[in-house]
Amino acid sequence: MTRPAAIGDTLRRAAPSLAAVRRRRADWAPLLLLLPTTISLGSVSVYPILDGLWLSLHNTTLATREDRFVGWLNYRLLATDPDFWSAWRHTLEFTAISTLAETAIGLGMALLLVERFTGRGLVRAAMLIPWAMPTVVTSKMFGWLFDGQNGLVNWVLRSLHLIGGNIDWYGSPNTALGTIIFVDVWKTTPFMALLLLAGLQTIPHSLHEAARIDGAGAWQTFWHVRLPMLVPILLIAAMFRALDAFRIFDLVYVLTGGGPADSTEVLSTLTYKTLFSALEFGYGSALSTAMFATEALIALCFGVLIVRGMRRQGR
Amino acid sequence: MAEVGRRRSGAQNGLFLLGATAIVLWSSGPFLWQISTSFQLDRALVSPTPSLIPHPFILQHFLNIFLVKHFQFYILNSTIVAISTTLLCLAFGAMAAYALSRLKMRWRFGLLGFILSVSMFPQIAIVGPLYLLASVLGLLDTYMVLVIIYLALGLPLVIWVLFGYFQTIPEELDEAARIDGAGPFLSLLLIIIPLSLPCLVTTGLLAFIAAWNEFMFALALTSTIAHQTVPVGIANFTNLYYVPWGDIAAASVVVTLPLVLLVLFFQRRIIEGLTQGAVKE
Amino acid sequence: MSKTKPGSTATVERLPKPRPGRRAFLGGVALGGVAAFTGARGARGASRTEIAFASAKFFGKETVAQVVGMYNASQSRVHVTYIELPPPSASTEVHQLLVQQLARQSGSPDVFTQDVIWIAEFAGAGWALPLDQEFGADVRKQYFPGVIQACTWGGKLTALPWFIDSGMLYYRTDLLGSAAVPETWDELVALAQAAEKSGRARFGFLWQGKQAEVLVCDLVEFVASNGGAILGPDGRTVMIDDDKSVQAVQFMRDTIDRYKISPQDVLSWDEEPSRRPFTGGQAMFLRNWSYVYTIAQDPKASSVVGKVGVAPLPHFPGGRSAACLGGYQYGVNASTKNRDAAIDFVRWMSSPATQLHFATELGLAPTRPDVFDDPKLAQSQPFMQKLKPVFLGATPRPVTPKYAQVTLVLQSSVSRALADGNVKQALSGAKERIAAIVAS
Repeated sequence: MTRPAAIGDTLRRAAPSLAAVRRRRADWAPLLLLLPTTISLGSVSVYPILDGLWLSLHNTTLATREDRFVGWLNYRLLATDPDFWSAWRHTLEFTAISTLAETAIGLGMALLLVERFTGRGLVRAAMLIPWAMPTVVTSKMFGWLFDGQNGLVNWVLRSLHLIGGNIDWYGSPNTALGTIIFVDVWKTTPFMALLLLAGLQTIPHSLHEAARIDGAGAWQTFWHVRLPMLVPILLIAAMFRALDAFRIFDLVYVLTGGGPADSTEVLSTLTYKTLFSALEFGYGSALSTAMFATEALIALCFGVLIVRGMRRQGR
Repeated sequence: MAEVGRRRSGAQNGLFLLGATAIVLWSSGPFLWQISTSFQLDRALVSPTPSLIPHPFILQHFLNIFLVKHFQFYILNSTIVAISTTLLCLAFGAMAAYALSRLKMRWRFGLLGFILSVSMFPQIAIVGPLYLLASVLGLLDTYMVLVIIYLALGLPLVIWVLFGYFQTIPEELDEAARIDGAGPFLSLLLIIIPLSLPCLVTTGLLAFIAAWNEFMFALALTSTIAHQTVPVGIANFTNLYYVPWGDIAAASVVVTLPLVLLVLFFQRRIIEGLTQGAVKE
Repeated sequence: MSKTKPGSTATVERLPKPRPGRRAFLGGVALGGVAAFTGARGARGASRTEIAFASAKFFGKETVAQVVGMYNASQSRVHVTYIELPPPSASTEVHQLLVQQLARQSGSPDVFTQDVIWIAEFAGAGWALPLDQEFGADVRKQYFPGVIQACTWGGKLTALPWFIDSGMLYYRTDLLGSAAVPETWDELVALAQAAEKSGRARFGFLWQGKQAEVLVCDLVEFVASNGGAILGPDGRTVMIDDDKSVQAVQFMRDTIDRYKISPQDVLSWDEEPSRRPFTGGQAMFLRNWSYVYTIAQDPKASSVVGKVGVAPLPHFPGGRSAACLGGYQYGVNASTKNRDAAIDFVRWMSSPATQLHFATELGLAPTRPDVFDDPKLAQSQPFMQKLKPVFLGATPRPVTPKYAQVTLVLQSSVSRALADGNVKQALSGAKERIAAIVAS
C-alpha cells in the first residue's frame, strides 16, 4: 500500500502545527463518527418505543375510547393468556429451527462457493435469487407451490413416488408450521450464505497453506483452521437471523393467517390482529414489549458468546 | 485470498459439480417456474400436467404491467429509495463501526447492544406511532420518510458486521498511519475502507435488498404512485380478490432478474479484483 | 384480545382524553399534504366548500378518483378531494388507517367508505354521523333491506349504501345436466357425490375455511340457512352453540370428513385458492363472491367458459337460503365541519345514476333493486342482473361494535372445530369468550 506513505510525506512536513489540531480532533472523532448513526436510530426509534411502553400501561382501545392507566394489568393478563403462550412457543420453535437450518445450509453453500471453479460467479448469483425476490411474491408463490391439490410440490413428489397421495401442507395443523419453516429457510439462507462467504474470504491463504503442508485433510482444515476464524461472523449473522426470525410476519399472515386452528399463530400475527383488527392498543403494546423482552434475552445469549469470542482473540 | 489452489481429485470435482448444481436448482427452481408462468395464460396454472414450456407463449403479462399498471414508476421509486438507503447505510455504518472498533471507547459493547436493541422492537408496533410522527412532520408520501426509516432498520446489521470485520484488521496498519500523521477520518477513508471492500459489498447488497423488498412501512406511509415502491405496486395488482398470477410473475421477473445480473457483474469486479492483491498478508 | 379487563367500562359518555402529540391532533398538514398530492385539481374560487373523501382503492374500466371528478365537474358548490387508501385486499390496513384518522375527531375525512363489518364499530365509537334526518324511511325503502339493516346501529342509520356483494353458489351447467339446481344442502351433497363417483369432477363442493374473515362469511351462510344465528338481534345474546348453529358447523365438517365432497385443503383456502380448481374445471360446486363469474367467462383465465351457472346458496330443511353480505358503504364523519356539503356528496354518490355508473364502469353491484332493471346494466353487465334475487337474501354478519374481537374468536374456534372435529366443544368455548366480549 503506497497511499499512506504518500500522505505521510505530506503530513510529516506539516507535522508540528498539525499536532495540536490532531489531538483535539482525535478527542472529538468518536463522537463525530457516531453522530449520524445516533441521530438516525434515535429519531426513528425513541418516540415509537417510549410510546409503546407508555401505551402498554393503559387499557387503550380505540373503538370504545377507553384510555385509562392500569399499571401492570396488561402484563398480568398476558401471563395467564393461553393464546399468548401458544404463539410464544410457536415463535420460538420457528426461530430455533429456521436459524439452525439456515446456518447449516448457508455454511455448506459458503464453503462450496469459496472454492474456485468455473461458473462460480453464476452459482453465486443464482444463490441470491431467493433473497432477492420480493417477499409479496414469494409468499403467494409458495402458497401455490405447496397447494394441497394443484401445487407443484405434491405433483413432483408423487411423480417421484415419494408420497402416495397429496399432502395437505397448509390445511393440516401438523404440517402447516413445518411448511412455513421450509419456505423461510429457502428464502433466507442466502442471507447467511452471503455473510459466511464474506467471512471465509477474509481467512488468510497462508493459514491454509500451513495446514496443508502439515498434512491436514479437508475436514481438519475446516474444523481447526477455518471454523474458529469464522465463529465471530457466524455468531453475528446467526444472531441477526434469529432476531429477524422471531419477528416473522408476512409469510405466516399470507400463507395461513395463523391457522389452521391457531397452529401457526406467531407473536407478530397475534400482535398485528390485536393492534389493528381489535384495535386494542394497550394490550397490543404489552404484547410487543413481551416480544422485545424475549428478543433481548436471545440477543444477550448471543452477545455474551460473541464478546467472549472477541476477547479471546485478544481484542 | 482464501483460494484453494490444490489439485482436486476426480471424486472431489464430481462432488463440487453435484453441490453446485444442487445449489442452482434449489435456489432458482421456483424462479424458473415464475419465468415460465409469466409467459403463460392464467388458466394454465391449474392444468393437470404442469409444463415448464409456455403453451401458448404470450407477452400479455409484461405489456400489462407496464402499460396498464405503470410498473415502471414503482421500479423508479424503489431504485431511488434503495440506492439512497444503501449509500447512507454504508457511510454511517462504516463510520460508527470504525469508531467502535478502532478508537478506544469505553462502553463500546454497551453501545453496540443499544444499537442492536433499537432494531429488536417489532416493526408492527412502531408503524402506528411513526405514521403519526410522519403526518405531523408532513413527511407522508415522500421518499425521505422511507429512506429515514430504512436507514434505521439497516444500520444495526451493517454496524455489527463491519465491527466484526474491522476487529480482524491488524492494528499495526493503524499505527503506521498514525505515525505518518493521518487522523482517524483519513485512516478510515484511505486504509480501512479499501481493505473492507468485500465486506462492504456484502452488507451493502443485503441493505439494498432489504430496502427493495420492505413492504409494511411502504404500504402505510406512501399513498400515491409517485412514491410507492415495488412491493406495494405488486400488492396493488390485486383487485378485490382476484390475484392476476401471470402479471405478478412478470413483475417478479422484471424486478429480480436485473438485481441478479447486477450482483453477477458487481461481484466479479470487486471480489475477483481483490484476490490478485493478497492484501491481508 | 378477547379478555375482560376488570374495571373497564365501555361507557360512551367518557370523553376522549387528548394525548399530547399523539392521537390528539394531526393537522390538516398531513391530509393537506396527501391532498395536494392526489391532485386537488383546480380548487375553483373560495366559494367552493372543500371536503375530503377517503376510500379504499377500487378500479375497473375507471377509478373511484374519476367518479369523484365527475361530481366535482357536475356542480360548483362543493369540491371533493379524494384520499386513496389501500385496496380492500389489504382490508386490515384500510381499517387501521381509517380508525387513526377518525379517532382524532378533527373532521377529516368528511366522507369515508367503510366495510359492512365496521359500520357498528364506527357507530358505537361515535365516529359516524346518524343520517336518519336526511334519508327518511321512503328513501331507505329504495335500497335492499339487508343492506339497510347492516347500515343501521342502535336504531339509527349511520351508513349510506354504496355497493353490495354476497356469497353465492356457482355450479357447472354441463355436469348438472338436466338435474335441478340444488335448493337444500342434502340435494347438493347427493349431486356432488354422484359427480365425484362418476369421475366427472375431482371435487364435489369447494368453499373457504381458512382461518381468516372469509371463514366467518361462510359460517354465517351455513348457520343462517339452518335458521340459526351467531348473535341475537339485541347484539348480546350469543347463539353460536345452539343446536341449529352446531348442526350447521357439523355439516361444514362433514363435507370434508363424512360426505367427502370437499378436500381437507379448504381449511387453508380463501377466495382465490378455492376459485382456481373450479375455473380449472375440477369441481362441480363452489361457494364464493360475485367476482368469480367474470373470471369464469374469461378464456384467458378459465377452462370452463360458458359452463358456469349461478344460484342462491342451498339451505337446510325448514330454513331459507342465506347469502353473507359484503361490500363497502358510505359514512359521514360525525365531527365534519361541512355537514351539508358532505350530505350533498353522499346523496349524489348513492343516487341511481351514480350507482349505475359504478356498476357498468367498475363492476360494483348497486344496492338499489331498481338499478338492476336498467337496460344499460343488462347491456354491459348481464350477469349482474341475474344476481338480484341472490342479493335480496343477503344476511349481515353479527352486528356489534365489538365485531373486530368477535370475529377473531369465531375464526379461531370454528377453525379448531373443523380441524379436529370437536364441534360442540369448540363452539361452547367460543360462546363463553364472545359473551364476555359483548357483555363488557
